[in-house]
Amino acid sequence: MRSLLGKIIAAGLIFTGLGLLNISAWAHHSTTMFDHATSVTITGEVKEVQWTNPHVAIFIYGTVKDGEAPALWLMEMTSPGNLIRAGGWSRNAVKKGDKVVVNFSPLRSGDKGGALKKITLVDSGKSLTADIRAQERPNLQEEESK
Amino acid sequence: MRLVKVLLLTAIALASLGAQAQTKEIVNPAPTAKDWSDIAKLPDWSGVWNPNITDQDKQAKTNMPPWKPEAAELIQFQLKEEKAGRPTPLFTNCLPEAMPAWMLITHNAMEILFTPGRVTMLGESDGDRLRRIYTDGRPHPDDPDPTFHGHSIGHWEGETLVVDTIGVIPQAWLAISEAAGVPNNGDMHIIERIHLQGKDVLHDDLEVIAPNVLTKPWKTTRIFFRQRARKFDIVEGVCLEGYNKPDKDKYGNDIFVPIQHEVGGNRVPPK
Repeated sequence: MRSLLGKIIAAGLIFTGLGLLNISAWAHHSTTMFDHATSVTITGEVKEVQWTNPHVAIFIYGTVKDGEAPALWLMEMTSPGNLIRAGGWSRNAVKKGDKVVVNFSPLRSGDKGGALKKITLVDSGKSLTADIRAQERPNLQEEESK
Repeated sequence: MRLVKVLLLTAIALASLGAQAQTKEIVNPAPTAKDWSDIAKLPDWSGVWNPNITDQDKQAKTNMPPWKPEAAELIQFQLKEEKAGRPTPLFTNCLPEAMPAWMLITHNAMEILFTPGRVTMLGESDGDRLRRIYTDGRPHPDDPDPTFHGHSIGHWEGETLVVDTIGVIPQAWLAISEAAGVPNNGDMHIIERIHLQGKDVLHDDLEVIAPNVLTKPWKTTRIFFRQRARKFDIVEGVCLEGYNKPDKDKYGNDIFVPIQHEVGGNRVPPK
């Protein structure tokens, strides 16, 4: 008789197979596919903002290391509601064409993606965080008004 | 005389039929002005409630449910996978996190509404995340249709709302994180004591009785904190929107087009 674990692994393999065919949906997921112990910086231009639930994404064309050819990178974030509460975000806070510097945790797979930690708009110097845990206190508006 | 007797018997028969019909059809009475004014005496749970995720993370390490051996084996496998950067995609299909996982591991905000005979929890996610807790004194149905959030009845003990939930679908995860959990496999019973702990912190003291995956009931307290700033009001959160992105069709109409995702739940990154 197959163990529960065996069945789960088998189901997981089937699920992974389906995923490769791009049938998978997505929602509230763990982010350990990103290496949170590593911080990388990309400098470049915003190509597209997808301000959608459950996760906002920003595509950036830019350079990670000096001397490297610029490339398109995908930055993943939390939901629009959580970003608004994390501070300073709105649908139009970051727009296509903005020059930006982004700190992010890279994908472990080596693909050109990461979990955005901080984005700085070059023209205004304004910085925004995407850290969902940065908002874990009541009455944030009272802190802001001080 | 005989006619009177017949009429009397007919009337009794009709009355008894009526009584039978009444026991079959329970009607929810319209709320009275007193019902509405009594709501003002309840504690103030208005505002937007966000989960304390740091505490969720901590309890995933310090407050492990008393799993049965097969469930414990699966959880340990999932924890290793998550640590290795391959998190198990428990909640990547856009179905509701369901009970009790919504209360246990959500990263999203909720609001709580009081109306006569009801407490309603509305979550900022999944498009249809909603708990109806009946406080009108009704019992559970004998055989409730299983649902993601189950059948909940509640009553107030002072400033504490005591909620009893059964009828949750067996597929609903009993989850300790977004990447570690086991389906409850049926017959689950959840008892909650929800109360303010200080001015702007809400505690949900849960007792989860899940005899098919746990050796004994499991207790945990989940913490939510309040925001009142209007800019933090709950927004729409339709999970399936993430399947798609806005585009134009060949006629110039605004449409959604599907976008690709990886199994872990992220969009497919550039190679």
